[in-house]
Amino acid sequence: MTTGPAGIDAVYRAEFGRAVATVAGMVGDIALAEDAVQEAFADALRTWPERGAPANPGAWITTAARHRALDRLRRESARAVKEYDAVVARAPIEEAEVSPVADDQLRMIFTCCHPALSPPSQVALTLRLVCGMRTAEIARAFLQPEHTVAQRLSRAKAKIRQAGIPLRVPPAHLLPERLPVVLACVYLVFTEGYFATSGPSAVRDELCDEAIRLGRLLCGLLPGEPEARALLALMLLQDSRRGQRRAEDDLIPLEEQDRPAWNHAAIRAGLACLESAAADGAGPYLAQARIAAAHATAPSWAETDWHAIVASYDQLLRYSASPAVRVNRAVAVGFSRGFGAGLAALDEVADDPRLAGTHLVPATRADLLRRAGRRREAAESYRAALDLAANEQVRRFLARRLAEVEE
Amino acid sequence: MHYLATLAGREDTGVDPGTPEFDAEVAKYAAFEERAADAVAGGAALFPSADAMHVRRAGGRTLVTDGPFAEQAEVVGGFYVFDAPDLDAAIELARRLPAAEDGTIELRPMVMWSPHETPRGDWWLALLWEAPDAVIAPGTPEWDAAVAEHERFGAKYAAAVRGGGALQPPSSATTLRVRDGELLLTDGPFPEFAEVVDGLYLFAAASRAEAAEIAAAIPLGEHGRTEVRRVVDLGD
Repeated sequence: MTTGPAGIDAVYRAEFGRAVATVAGMVGDIALAEDAVQEAFADALRTWPERGAPANPGAWITTAARHRALDRLRRESARAVKEYDAVVARAPIEEAEVSPVADDQLRMIFTCCHPALSPPSQVALTLRLVCGMRTAEIARAFLQPEHTVAQRLSRAKAKIRQAGIPLRVPPAHLLPERLPVVLACVYLVFTEGYFATSGPSAVRDELCDEAIRLGRLLCGLLPGEPEARALLALMLLQDSRRGQRRAEDDLIPLEEQDRPAWNHAAIRAGLACLESAAADGAGPYLAQARIAAAHATAPSWAETDWHAIVASYDQLLRYSASPAVRVNRAVAVGFSRGFGAGLAALDEVADDPRLAGTHLVPATRADLLRRAGRRREAAESYRAALDLAANEQVRRFLARRLAEVEE
Repeated sequence: MHYLATLAGREDTGVDPGTPEFDAEVAKYAAFEERAADAVAGGAALFPSADAMHVRRAGGRTLVTDGPFAEQAEVVGGFYVFDAPDLDAAIELARRLPAAEDGTIELRPMVMWSPHETPRGDWWLALLWEAPDAVIAPGTPEWDAAVAEHERFGAKYAAAVRGGGALQPPSSATTLRVRDGELLLTDGPFPEFAEVVDGLYLFAAASRAEAAEIAAAIPLGEHGRTEVRRVVDLGD
């Protein structure tokens, strides 16, 4: 089955990132490694259908790519002699197959997510070099022209080379400030798939799947990091509702979703992950995972454990002073202590300049007022929110609510 | 590998050379240099930009003007060149610079760097600024032509030139700030400036007029600008 193009495509998905990481670790050049692995897959397409697929396709690809990379280094005499010696002098070429090593992939993830690269570059590089997504696939998923993504990728690779971004896992003293960048990159991949609600949804689903795959990979590579497990828990719990969030072109609020139709296997996996993370530490992703877990385990919207959710928002605020978090907390306060208390909590954050010009505060106020039965004031706030909301889907939702309270 | 760390910040702090506040700043930098030890491969502190000169092209002529450039909130106050094995090592050095706390530091890998002695009172810095889209990339024929022009300049003014360097493209830059002890990195050159640093020279000149003459001879792109600044004498 692995000998045909479809079979090789499956191997590509599974092995591309590992092979690039391992070859890059050997030759110290990401672009060279990427080209070599690409060529190795071209070799596979040519030879596997005739001779049959090897027993260990990953090792075959990595070994072939290593040969390709060494050939290239030999041919390009202009290349630094040091580089060539480091690779060629270290081991004879005719050695046995090279199998990808997990450490190489971890090195690659930290390099792709180096904080001197912009977040969009980090995401694109990670999807290309760690997940093996093709440029065209990344472009489709982010609804961007392919040449924009291609340019971003080549710029980021040039920066890694020119600026001397090291291909390594940062030393222990830098890990506390570097790991959050890696986790943020993975979560950005997820949210791009989960919250962006326009465009061909099938491809967006792929981003959610890739993010969860990356999350699993990180948990395996960094077993001592509870925040990696907390992030995986958060993604699994949110992802359990993915299929129920959209109907046609509209967003379905959590309150109106069909709970039995949620993915309960994902919820169980997420809860197990959450439990393991909570046993080992605390952090912003754990707090967010707890909020997602409270929703995922509630039998209904009314029976949701709002006290637990408010407590988790309070935890989250210790790590991030984000005004959006405080707005969400105000909603939870509304459900746990009464809508008057929620409105008071919202007033405390309403003047934050970072929220100026967004529909977030008036839309939230409108919702709390509507639930409190203050329809006339709610209508006023819905109108204010409509003036500020730019997203069509959000506008449709707000207009629907406005019509309800105006009845 | 050499990295140029360009220090930029607000100038309205009143810390001018000759004041006790300036000496206190200098002491902080001396402490930094002691810690950084062998990694410092060059650098200079600059007098305020009020007495700067600017060289640019206008209608086919080379034009020298006096005074600070436009109404920039931030100006360059000095630079370091670090000899570091990789970007992480350069970042570790730059984040400890006192300027990281209240200004911005741009880290740029260098294509070449000729080191210099301890700056003296008759030294000047020429900062070469270029429009971002007019920057010439290393390895292109245009680059080779520009290098040849700079070699001609270097040969003609060999007696005056004290050091200089060329940079990798601005896309290889990283800007760095430290706020409340937290390191903030941004991909790309100084966001504050419309132009990007494209190279630098250190040279000696006995007078302002001589400095202007030398600066005017430095090769200049059609959209470029050379900023000439007096270097603070930090020798004992």
